Amino acid sequence: MYVVIVYDVEQIRVNKVCKCLRRFLHWVQNSAFEGDLSESQLERLKMELKKLIDPEHDSVYIYRLPHKKYLRKETIGREKVIIDQILG
Amino acid sequence: MAESARSYYIFRNGRLRRRQNTLYLEQEGENGDIIRHPIPIEDVQDIYLFGEIDLNTKLLNFLAQNGVIVHCFNYYGFYSGSFYPRETNVSGHLIVKQVEHYLDPTKRLSLAREFVSSALYHIRRNLNYYSHRGKDVRNSLNIVEQCMDRIASCETIPELMREEGQAREAYYVAFNEILDLKEPFEKRVRRPPDNMINALISFINTLIYTATLSEIYVTQLNPTISYLHEPSKRRFSLALDISEIFKPLVGDRVLFRLLNRGVIGEEDFMGLGESPAVYLKENARKTVVRELEETLQTTVYHRGLKRNVSYRYLIRFEAYKIIRHLIGMEPYRSLRAWW
Repeated sequence: MYVVIVYDVEQIRVNKVCKCLRRFLHWVQNSAFEGDLSESQLERLKMELKKLIDPEHDSVYIYRLPHKKYLRKETIGREKVIIDQILG
Repeated sequence: MAESARSYYIFRNGRLRRRQNTLYLEQEGENGDIIRHPIPIEDVQDIYLFGEIDLNTKLLNFLAQNGVIVHCFNYYGFYSGSFYPRETNVSGHLIVKQVEHYLDPTKRLSLAREFVSSALYHIRRNLNYYSHRGKDVRNSLNIVEQCMDRIASCETIPELMREEGQAREAYYVAFNEILDLKEPFEKRVRRPPDNMINALISFINTLIYTATLSEIYVTQLNPTISYLHEPSKRRFSLALDISEIFKPLVGDRVLFRLLNRGVIGEEDFMGLGESPAVYLKENARKTVVRELEETLQTTVYHRGLKRNVSYRYLIRFEAYKIIRHLIGMEPYRSLRAWW
């Protein structure tokens, strides 16, 4: 499954959440990640995120798509990173 | 590592590092600062290193923990070896069965025959494809079909290999018809390859071999015990067995496509040394890797599984079918492309 995750957390926790997401997904811009995950990976990721955030103040949104092909992504302005398996 | 995990190919020079519990590729920028490129560890099945990469044991331990295989290539793009982490999926029972099927000549032969049948089936499939497109490959097609008919009556491994060899030879003759070549392609030369076709075949076959090895790693199979090839020292020969199926099905088709569309041409190769060894230039390597990776990710509908599966998954599926055969669940029937 393909997921897009955006988050809005208090400044002291931003780095923790970002670090955690980096292990699973590709960074696309500040507070936004996307990538392929299996059901169990997403479950593990959610568990970890729940431990990190303060549910009173922070929020994480998860957008799920059954497959990457259903994603229609449009970019306005500079594309910050290009996700690619071939580096260099 | 999940089923969606992917291969990463690194061409640039730099350092691969464990950082923040994930992977970072670090490279020196133009003005001496370090550019860091994070790679999500959960998305990595294996890593191909083509560039000059520094790494340390901390990283290797981390990769082993996550079951990530590293395949290394030297300056010329020739395969030098893999970092194959300790197996976490082990089954003593299965190893006993694997050995049993190797030691018993009849059992060994029936597995080996399946590998050759599938390889020749896909060779014939490629020849048929081009014969429908007006290429005159009748001669080769006849020879391959004769070899296929004789497979069933082969009683030893060498006989089987002879049929395979003959079919391959006829197949390579057809390359001259399929591809528009300036110089005729005479014969397959390895270690080192002597012309551009041989160099390209070698490079693609290596990638198929490493992909197969990575898929075997995910299963309980021991990659050193093989049936068609002799299980030799220093080689994961089961990967050689299984990759026989996918060389014509995936590899050769990528090769034809790249050459016939003019994506890869003479200018992409370099000669080396006195006894000329030919190898691919770096940019061409990238092109080949990209094309092959895209092909491996293409999906076909599998009637048995009732879902779309990628070519890469079909490799793993062969391994699973072999396991089922070894533990006596159902006889192994190798892949025959049905689409």
